[in-house]
Amino acid sequence: MGRYLKTLRRFWGTALASQTEYQANLLFDLLAMGGNLAGSLFMIGLFFQGGRGLGGWTWPEALVVLGIYTLLDGVSSTLLRPNLSRIVTQVQEGTLDFVLLKPIDSQFWLSTRTFALGGLPEIGAGLLLMAWAARAAGARPSLAVVAAAVVLLGTSLTILYSLWFVLATTSIWFVKTWNATEVLRATLTAGRYPVTAYPQTLRVLFTVVIPVAFLTTVPAEAVLGRPSWPWLLGGAGMAVLFFALSRAFWQLALRFHTSASS
Amino acid sequence: MRRVARLARVARVLLATQYAHMLEYRAEIALWALSGLVPLLMMSLWIHQADMGVAPSGGGAASGAELGAAIGGLSRVELARYFISAFIVRQFTVAWVVFAFEEDALQGRLSPMLLQPLHPLWRYLTSHLAEQATRLPFVAGLAGIFLLLVPWAAWWPAPGRLLLAVLATVLAFAVNFLVQCLIAVLCFWSERASALERLHTLAMLFLSGLMAPLELFPPAVRQAAQWTPFPWIIHFPARLLAGAELDAAAGFAALAAWLALLLPLTLLLWRAGVRRYAAMGS
Amino acid sequence: MAIVRADNLSKAFRVADKQPGLGGTLRHFVQRRWRTVDAVREVSFAIEPGERVGFLGPNGAGKTTTLKMLSGLIHPSGGRAEVAGFEPRRRQRRFLEAITLVMGQKQQLLWDLPPLDSLLLNAAVYGLDDGEARRRIAELAEMLELGPELTRPVRKLSLGERMKAELMAALLHRPQVLFLDEPTLGLDINAQVRVREFLEAYNRRHGATLLLTSHYMADITALCPRVLLIHQGRLFHDGSLEELASRLAPCREVRLELRDPVPAETLAAFGEVQQLQGRQVRLLIPRGQLTGQVARLLAELAVEDLEVRDPPIEDLIGQVFREGEVRAGAMT
Repeated sequence: MGRYLKTLRRFWGTALASQTEYQANLLFDLLAMGGNLAGSLFMIGLFFQGGRGLGGWTWPEALVVLGIYTLLDGVSSTLLRPNLSRIVTQVQEGTLDFVLLKPIDSQFWLSTRTFALGGLPEIGAGLLLMAWAARAAGARPSLAVVAAAVVLLGTSLTILYSLWFVLATTSIWFVKTWNATEVLRATLTAGRYPVTAYPQTLRVLFTVVIPVAFLTTVPAEAVLGRPSWPWLLGGAGMAVLFFALSRAFWQLALRFHTSASS
Repeated sequence: MRRVARLARVARVLLATQYAHMLEYRAEIALWALSGLVPLLMMSLWIHQADMGVAPSGGGAASGAELGAAIGGLSRVELARYFISAFIVRQFTVAWVVFAFEEDALQGRLSPMLLQPLHPLWRYLTSHLAEQATRLPFVAGLAGIFLLLVPWAAWWPAPGRLLLAVLATVLAFAVNFLVQCLIAVLCFWSERASALERLHTLAMLFLSGLMAPLELFPPAVRQAAQWTPFPWIIHFPARLLAGAELDAAAGFAALAAWLALLLPLTLLLWRAGVRRYAAMGS
Repeated sequence: MAIVRADNLSKAFRVADKQPGLGGTLRHFVQRRWRTVDAVREVSFAIEPGERVGFLGPNGAGKTTTLKMLSGLIHPSGGRAEVAGFEPRRRQRRFLEAITLVMGQKQQLLWDLPPLDSLLLNAAVYGLDDGEARRRIAELAEMLELGPELTRPVRKLSLGERMKAELMAALLHRPQVLFLDEPTLGLDINAQVRVREFLEAYNRRHGATLLLTSHYMADITALCPRVLLIHQGRLFHDGSLEELASRLAPCREVRLELRDPVPAETLAAFGEVQQLQGRQVRLLIPRGQLTGQVARLLAELAVEDLEVRDPPIEDLIGQVFREGEVRAGAMT
């Protein structure tokens, strides 16, 4: 365990040291984040015109969902995209071999190797929006509520990570997967809104097949102080299932890699 | 005349090779077409929202077109047709000049391209057209599938309308293409052109009408948006295709105005950019 | 006990056979055709701890594939490998800590950062504490004569400096077994010699086992008392370079300078005449008869100068590879 923590410190230390252009990009990162947030707020506002709710959610409640979506998007830009898009290059250049020769879990290495500072403001903005909107919706944070919210946010991040990782892993076979990740991103934008705002069929699809509901709506319920055991257990089950799937899939990819290459 | 004949021959050869090239990437392009499904997600949200307006108590009472559910003056049939049209228009107005240009500059393909007696923008234009030709069957298939999901919204635009819609889409593509070229040309001066492209993508997403028809915007926002090129790229051709009531002349005038502004500006900046590039000697 | 052992190690893999063009693509899509390539065929050898072994063979002979099988990067399709008491394909942690693979054409150092950052990262990955890591870095830096280069971004280093830093990164965890694939590729003569000397010093100091491939014969002759020659996936020779030479060339070359020209018929009695130019003669004489024939030459002809030598080893190996499998099969 100590070895992994120390390695992680070195990983992120070197990532920080190689981000020399940070200040120049900061302005654009902030502008893009502000624009994205303003646009999303505007769109949700449109749904509430004329006093309608959105799938039975009030305005501040829907903003909790948007806050969590923003948080997840920030995590994607900070950790998931920078790391997982590198797998393709490493397969092409053959430097994946160096990773496989290290006495450390290769999935850990590939998933945590670097991070991008640009996504951090978005994580902050997402957390702030979530907290502020929950307060405005009248949620009273008790210890149980906070615990449930933390657990469900954890499961949400785990599911998101696993989906990304499985998709990135397919690059071992196909090499080019940029567009596949675009499809995933487009699908996940469905998480901007509470899942009850969708018609019945999509609601089922987003709960059972592509777990968009577990990414934003379910944790939002917990943050708003209405966690329920079935969702808590369902979320945990989904997270364990998807994480196990990502590990199994990586093993499969490795077996292919080690037997097919020369 | 000789010049025109030569250009025609070059265009034919370029299109043929680019099409063969794009066919190699058909799986990629199919996936990319699939990633444009945001308007269809929004369609289901808006229709559901319209239904909720009819039966605010919820409970799934509303299903089927005959209920007359509406939101902001748009019926669910109009909503469905608008978003399916927006999906199709979006597919044929996508431009990716910035990425292609950045890649070419990085790989050192730019200098040889500048030596050829053909404006490099022609090359990008033909590869876009070839990519759209490759995309066509996938878009038709996807649109067909989505129409099967909302069979009550199926429609066939009148021939005149269809023609106007195609023309508007072509012009809209030209505007979007030029906007992207403009951003790409800025690569000659700044390394942050791709960051600028991110902002452009955001504006496109929220202002073009991909996520909601502009009729649903508050009037002030709608008016402001119409001063940008974005609504004319998606909203206007989509409304034409969907067969909605609209002032077609105003739309074409707006597209023409943007073309008249963007074309000379892009060419001028391109020339200045190439001069700068040559002066830097890199 | 052997530290590296290969028993009938084989690797065959399938490659898709696709004709160019659209037609070829479509046909390939409908009916995939596969071709099996035997990269390594039933190769067996054993290496004792502390040995330095050179791995010879032309491009595509199966050298890199064998090294990758021994380091666990690819799975053998037949036979067995054992390295430091482990089965490489299982990639256990203790195994990975006991070996290293240096690939001359790939680099693990972070391009934009000084080598020191990559070294400390590796120290963390291999679970070395900071003090120990710094001691080892200092030791390796001294052996490789690297100093201020360690704190300069990798992209600013020369090719030779970069390779030395790569070696440091690969050896920081003090592996018992070193697999080196073209470690001197692209280096100038000076840097080649440095790397060679370092590898020998490292081998002596830590008793580590070396198995290396190189395009440069000088690397092998200077460093490796023992060579494995692999050709078209098969092991062709296992022994010293001298043994290899005598096996490849059963004759030695005798160069003579005579006082007066002598007809070819006279010379043919001593050996096979390669060249006859006035007073300059080149003869090939079978090793077994060499001393007898040379004594006769000196006794019967007026010899001004005489030189006995082996044909150059590179020429011999090249000749074998050109003549191909028929002869390779005959000799094994």
